[in-house]
Amino acid sequence: MSRVELLDASTAPLPAQQYFANGDPGPIVAALATVPELLGPALGFVGPALSAGATGVRAKEFAILRTSALQGCTYCIHAHTTVSLDVGLTTDEVRALRGELPLEDGFPSPKERALIGWIDALAGATGPIPDDVWTQARAHWGEHDLVEISVAVGATMFLNRFATGFQLPTAPHVLDRLAAEGLS
Amino acid sequence: MTLTESFVAQGPIADAVRDGVLPGRVWLYSNYHCNLACSYCLTESSPRSERRELTAEQMIAVAEQSKELGFTALGITGGEPFLLPWLPDAVLEMVKSLPLVLLNNGTLFVGDRLERAAKLAHPDIALQISLDSHLSDINDMARGPENFAKVVASVPRLIERGVRVRIATTTGGPLDSAHLDPLKALVASWGVRAEDHLVRPIVRRGRADELGLGVHAIARDIPSELCITADGAFWGSFGPTVSNGRLDTDLLLTRTILPLSVPANALLAAVSGMPEGADAALGIR
Repeated sequence: MSRVELLDASTAPLPAQQYFANGDPGPIVAALATVPELLGPALGFVGPALSAGATGVRAKEFAILRTSALQGCTYCIHAHTTVSLDVGLTTDEVRALRGELPLEDGFPSPKERALIGWIDALAGATGPIPDDVWTQARAHWGEHDLVEISVAVGATMFLNRFATGFQLPTAPHVLDRLAAEGLS
Repeated sequence: MTLTESFVAQGPIADAVRDGVLPGRVWLYSNYHCNLACSYCLTESSPRSERRELTAEQMIAVAEQSKELGFTALGITGGEPFLLPWLPDAVLEMVKSLPLVLLNNGTLFVGDRLERAAKLAHPDIALQISLDSHLSDINDMARGPENFAKVVASVPRLIERGVRVRIATTTGGPLDSAHLDPLKALVASWGVRAEDHLVRPIVRRGRADELGLGVHAIARDIPSELCITADGAFWGSFGPTVSNGRLDTDLLLTRTILPLSVPANALLAAVSGMPEGADAALGIR
């Protein structure tokens, strides 16, 4: 049960109504709509931040799902488990990103492990990030890739705390899918 | 010519007001609580309502920024604004920026409150008082016991003190001449000009919706005046209604009220998506 009212097409403020025109936009939009002047800027940031961009959808899902797991956001873990599967990640990769398998089991590639190491340092710790984490990531990824991934981590952390704080509910069809995949 | 008189607002809001894209008036809900509990109240106001007040400082800032942006008039409503003892002094500050109309129920003008209201004798201030019938029983059915008697006693007192009074009549349907003519005669007998007597339909929102009263209205039926409340900024003075104790958010523009440019620009963006002249059909004002 959400802690804040989730607006619908009949209660959505005027500037937010476009987001409800094609049906239920999901609980993040439905909650944000209560402050309509934030909706456009927030989605205008989150949308590009989490889209495939130049680094590609696979790397972005590493950032989103791993960050969500580190932040313990049930709503985002649920949602992005299904997204990750849809974009081609294997069940073992998803489990590894969720922390249910050792990373090495899911990701034999040093390049991908270096990226996940950067994500872990951003989302799973506080304070300065050790030079060796940066050096390993830079050995495999361009600066622009790491900027993009870092923005995705930041956007995900915003959504993680938003969804967790307000106890946003996972949609029933997502729960059904997770059960069917053995990833509840 | 003084500096104030020569001020000409610049910018997109000023242009929109000048071109008739946006109405010139900005409304403020000073508060939501009221000494009455009218049957058709948009905001379910009553003595037990949560107060939800704007502060005097906020209201004065809205007035000043309204002028700077290019709006041309102000309106204050509630709740019952005259339940706020500081209101007349705030209004006198606000009118330094723009002319204003102050809606009220006309039942509180005795003693100190009458003398405070008398300070509002000013050419750019009008007190708009609600009166729905020339018959006390019909009027009081919607507005509460003794309402008619209090209003007909108050209006001459205010006019005697130089206060400009307008009368607003809210109706459940078209009034025939048997009802409208005597009401107009009563209003005229006080010296209120015909153009200062407003007759408008009940809007089916808030408590009126619960009771099935009045006309259905959606955004395009409601004048697109910017309306500022403690809960945020809305499309029109009929926007910030309350139904079953909950604020209606369908006409909410922004939660931010100051700086006023934030809700004003949101209103302009919303209006820009509406067909021209679409708010004229129901006579809501």
